[in-house]
Amino acid sequence: MTTVTRKWKQPAPVRGALSEMDVADAGVWTDRLRFDRARAARNQPSELAAITATVEARSRDAGAHALILSGSTARARRTRVSDLDYHVIGGRPEIGHPAEDVDLYCDDAKSFMAKLRSGDDLVHWSVWYGCILFDDGVVQSAATHVASHDGWPDATRKVRQAQSALSFTERIVDSGDRGAALEQVRGVLSLTARWLLLAHDVFPLSRDELSDQVLDLGCSDLAAALHRSMHCEPELDELATGVRLVKHLTSLPAARARRARLPSLTTTAD
Amino acid sequence: MSPKPKVQVAREHLTKAQDEATGGDPRDALQWGFASLEAAIDALAAARGIAIDEKHWKRTEAARSLHATGVLPKDLSDLHRSLNEARKAVFYDGEDPDLGEVSIEDVLSDVEDAVVAAEAEAT
Repeated sequence: MTTVTRKWKQPAPVRGALSEMDVADAGVWTDRLRFDRARAARNQPSELAAITATVEARSRDAGAHALILSGSTARARRTRVSDLDYHVIGGRPEIGHPAEDVDLYCDDAKSFMAKLRSGDDLVHWSVWYGCILFDDGVVQSAATHVASHDGWPDATRKVRQAQSALSFTERIVDSGDRGAALEQVRGVLSLTARWLLLAHDVFPLSRDELSDQVLDLGCSDLAAALHRSMHCEPELDELATGVRLVKHLTSLPAARARRARLPSLTTTAD
Repeated sequence: MSPKPKVQVAREHLTKAQDEATGGDPRDALQWGFASLEAAIDALAAARGIAIDEKHWKRTEAARSLHATGVLPKDLSDLHRSLNEARKAVFYDGEDPDLGEVSIEDVLSDVEDAVVAAEAEAT
């Protein structure tokens, strides 16, 4: 029997974890907002906090329902390739030209809930792990929906995204543009990892955490390729191997892909 | 497989973008166009000691500064930013590119200006 608690804590990255808290309770949600505020402050150096303050002020001015700091910053796992990600529930605020790669995802309240119900993993991510900077109740309603309906992102959407990005990725690797190829390969490796994790009831955390998460699943080749795509400088041959790995894994059902290896893989983890 | 000089990949990406724009996949036209613009900016920035550090926002800033110093005939910073947004939507959502009122042909014409500038410098 599951015990529902009346105190907010970060949910474990497993299916059903959000149902262990009474997120519909006003006290629990207030607790979360306080917890998230502190987390956002702790995870941002002053230059990022200044950008966040601008995004928050402009979002409030534009009448947004909610603002969520998401991605690696919310998880305190920024890397040299991290963007600064926000999810605005409301119209797109004008934020000028920040000195950072900022990703601003915007959904109106209706499409936010519709995407949640249809299993959009980005919306789920915001609800599960985002730092909620303000919320007029729309994010709490979304969390309540997840908790009461065993809401879970659609894994098949991720494998479709990986497959549809493969052709261009393969061509850009062949083109000899190493920088663009690295970014593209990192992207398809991440999509593949998210697919496999979701299909095995594990919630994919930030990009830098994915390699450890897929390693725990048993996907050692994918874990190594992902890690190197973020922390090393793989050459084009290695990136081409990454593409072959994604092609191979995404051609299999998730249950088989979990343990699959690419026979000729020469990538080594550092 | 060996990496190629940025000025060379800028032209090759542009050719692919133009091919895709005429009867190919509009999503690939956009992605090649963006890659071409980034490579051209990288080439021009490197020649002036402007640090890019593989950051998109630094390329946006470089595009603005390259125009301000007369290297590029047009300020392509807004184009760079909007192409970056659009190609992410293509990558993650498989969406057809939304370029607003601008056509892909207009976009690629602006990108070609940057490629020509990078080529002129390389010779």
